[in-house]
This record gives sequence, structure tokens and C-alpha cells, in this order.
Amino acid sequence: MTAPAGDASIEVRVRTEIERAIQRSIKGLEYISTGDPAVGLTPKDVIHSRGTLKLYHYRPQADEVYRVPVLLVMSLVSKPYILDLAPGQSLVEFLVKRGFDVYMIDWGVPRPEDARLRLEDYVLDFIPDCVERVLEDSGERELSIVGYCMGGQLSTMYAALHPGGPLKNLACFTTPVDSDGMVLFKRWLDPRYFDVDRVVDTLGNVPPELIYASFDMLKPAQRVAKNIQLWDNLWNDDFVRSYRLFERWASDQIPFPGECFRQFTKQFMWENRMVRNELEIGGRRVELGQVRVPFLHVVAEHDHIVPYESARPLVPLVGSEDKREVMLKGGHVSLVAGGNAIYRLWPQLESWLAERSV
Amino acid sequence: MADKATMDPLAMWREWVAQSERQWNAFLNQAMATDEFSKAMGRFMDFYLNVQKGMNETMSRYLQLVNMPSRQEVLALGERLSAIEERLGRIEGMLARQATAPAGAASENGAPAAPRPPRTKKPPTPKG
Repeated sequence: MTAPAGDASIEVRVRTEIERAIQRSIKGLEYISTGDPAVGLTPKDVIHSRGTLKLYHYRPQADEVYRVPVLLVMSLVSKPYILDLAPGQSLVEFLVKRGFDVYMIDWGVPRPEDARLRLEDYVLDFIPDCVERVLEDSGERELSIVGYCMGGQLSTMYAALHPGGPLKNLACFTTPVDSDGMVLFKRWLDPRYFDVDRVVDTLGNVPPELIYASFDMLKPAQRVAKNIQLWDNLWNDDFVRSYRLFERWASDQIPFPGECFRQFTKQFMWENRMVRNELEIGGRRVELGQVRVPFLHVVAEHDHIVPYESARPLVPLVGSEDKREVMLKGGHVSLVAGGNAIYRLWPQLESWLAERSV
Repeated sequence: MADKATMDPLAMWREWVAQSERQWNAFLNQAMATDEFSKAMGRFMDFYLNVQKGMNETMSRYLQLVNMPSRQEVLALGERLSAIEERLGRIEGMLARQATAPAGAASENGAPAAPRPPRTKKPPTPKG
């Protein structure tokens, strides 16, 4: 005698859930007892280092490469391995395998004495220095830059202040220009209650715990929900692997260099100068209209760190004739790494860069 | 399909978790966007900075008492070391430029850098 279809289905579900519960117990122990997953594994050479800064060149993995090298510029508050998480989940690996000659600036972890670093150091010294090294190393006269989040801001500032420079293409991911669109951050840094001078004068660099807490507070219930989700999926190796990679990166924040934070808070968050073309670096005004190279801005539909309202004015403001904004599904991090990125961002970036890299 | 999903208690529970997260986030974000919250955060920051400042001063007095360098003195040394590092880097760069090999490339595992492929790649031609 056979059980009715409905009963069989319930039986299968119950059996599956029991198996998953057993797997959860076994893999839960495994989760606690194993160390952090390895990250940033794409083979690379350090071609230049200066203080905590390292300039990487990723070893080509194609028989021929595009003429124009690509330089990746990361944010100052996160480690760059989000762009090279793990084999199969790495934008860097993808680009290298598709025939791009890839370089990356790793800002490193600022030391206490780096509290004196200002936007001037990054935009007028470190980036131009690395650009020069890339050109020297590749033997080319021009390059493309890809900037993520605050790395996009630094790259855009560099492009605006070096209009005659060697930059050929500029691609930015989730790059904020209008601080009015970053409602919560703006509230928390309200000059009536937040004394940035006292913070920097007392602490030097802004500690990573404060930065981590501020990102966490943007979605306060997420931590609990994520833990529940992890427990629910503990039987699933792929889910756990991906979860650990992202968690490692998210909690691996670095200090924000103090003077740079002071400038950033005053000029960008309080006075919203970037969107008004009034930002001043080394006494020079950053006019976004001076960015005239082919320009791509990729934004995420559900970005809670850089909401669309804060990123939207960038494309209208740059002076390039060849400019494009692309909105993709996903959040601030899933835009660049993980399953979402593999099918959405990476192919878009590849096709945009390829035709402009010969 | 919809019926099956609504009858599955685990699927319902997952949906409830996702919805609760969204609702709590929205509710707390609203509370955190108020003047009162910013004021409270400012007060917390003041307290944190006062504690930090007090600790720095006490520690600095103690270190002076036991004839040890203070944090400021160690930082000053660090700065001088950084300046030396930078100068060495510049000299290294100049030397590397004089050599024919690419500027002192050193792989992370110490292996010599592989020969570079030609820079002749063209974008794939669109199909059709």
C-alpha cells in the first residue's frame, strides 16, 4: 500500500529537515573550530611599496592582454580583497583571465603616524605616483582606473585634477558625491553634536570599531537576521563558505586616517562641496566637469551604504561625452563580489573596458 | 505553488524572519534619524573621548615616571622611520629604473616574475 502524494511530500520534508538538523550540528562545530578562509589568492607581484601602501601587479593569465592596463583603487576604510575574495569569486581573477593587465593599490592598514595623511596625499601624491609606476611597469602611456566606493571618489578627484594626464577610462562603482543623499550618516555627523576636531585631535586615526559600528547601524537588525540565516543554512557548504568570506571582509575594517577624516567630514559631509564643485584639494578646486575621459558609473539598486540619491549626480556632473550610468540589482557589497556580481557587474565592466582598452 | 509555500511552516518562518528584519530596520532607522538620537550619540562620543583622553594622560604620566618612552615619542620615532623608508624606496626606485628589468618586481612567494604576454588583445566582435 502506498502513501498518498501529500503524505509522501510531508515525509520527504520531515526527513530532509532531520538530515539538515544533523548536518547543522556537525558543520556548526566545524564552523567554530576552523579559521578564517584564505582571501586574495590571485597570483601577484608587489611592484612598489611606500609606507603601508603596496602596488600589486597581477600575473597575466591570458595568452595576450589588452594594451591599456587597469588600475583598481579601493576605499580608505575597507581592505581591497573584496575585489579578490576567492577563486571563482574574484573580480581581479575574472579580469586577469579575460585578458586585462591588472594593477591594484592596497592602502594597507594606516599606522598611528599616518593620522597626518590628507586627501592631498592620496589624490595629488599616492595615486599619481602609482599611476606613474603602472605606466613604467607596463610600458604604456595611458591607463584605465576602476574605483570602488570611496576609491571612486578619490579616482574622480584625481581625474578632475589631472585633465591632461594619462587617464584613458574611468569606471566607478557606487561612488557618492552628494552627502545629502546619505541621510543617516549626515545625521550622525551633525556638526551641532559631532565635534570632528576633538575626535581627530584625541584619537588620531578613527578606530575601525567606530567605522564598523556605523556601517552596522545602517541595518541594525541585519546581524540577528544573518545569524538566523546562517543557522538555517549551516548544512549548505556553499552558503557557509560565502557567508564566511563576506563576514571576514565586513568585520575586517581598517582605521580612517585622522586628517583625511576631518577633511572628509567637513568638506564632503557637512558642506557637501563635491556635488557643488567646491571641494578644494591642495588649494585647487575639484571641478567634476574636468573629467573628460570615457566614464562609467555602476550603482546598486539596494545600496544602503551609498544610497542612489547620493550617487545619482555623478554622471550628470562629469564632463565626458562618453559617459554612462548603469544600475544593477544588489547591494553595496554584492554588486562587486559574489554570485550577483559574476552575472551582472563583471560582464558589464568587461565589455565596457574591452572596447576602450585597445 | 503559492498554496504549497503558504502551507510550508519553514518557508513561512523564513519569510517572517526576512519581513521582521525589514520592519525592524525601517523602524530603527527612523528612530536613528532624529535629532535626539544624534544628540545622544554626540554625548556618548564626548564620554568616550573624555575617557580616552584621561587614559592617555594617566598612561603618559606613568610611563614618564618609570622612565619609558610615551606613545607620542614612539609615534615620533615611527614617523622618522617612515621618512627613512620613503627615502630608501625612492633610491630603490631610481636604481630599478636604471636596470633593464621591471621595477624590482618581487612576487609574494619570492618566485621570479613570469614573462609578459603581448599587449595585442582585441575585444570580441559582436555576434550577428
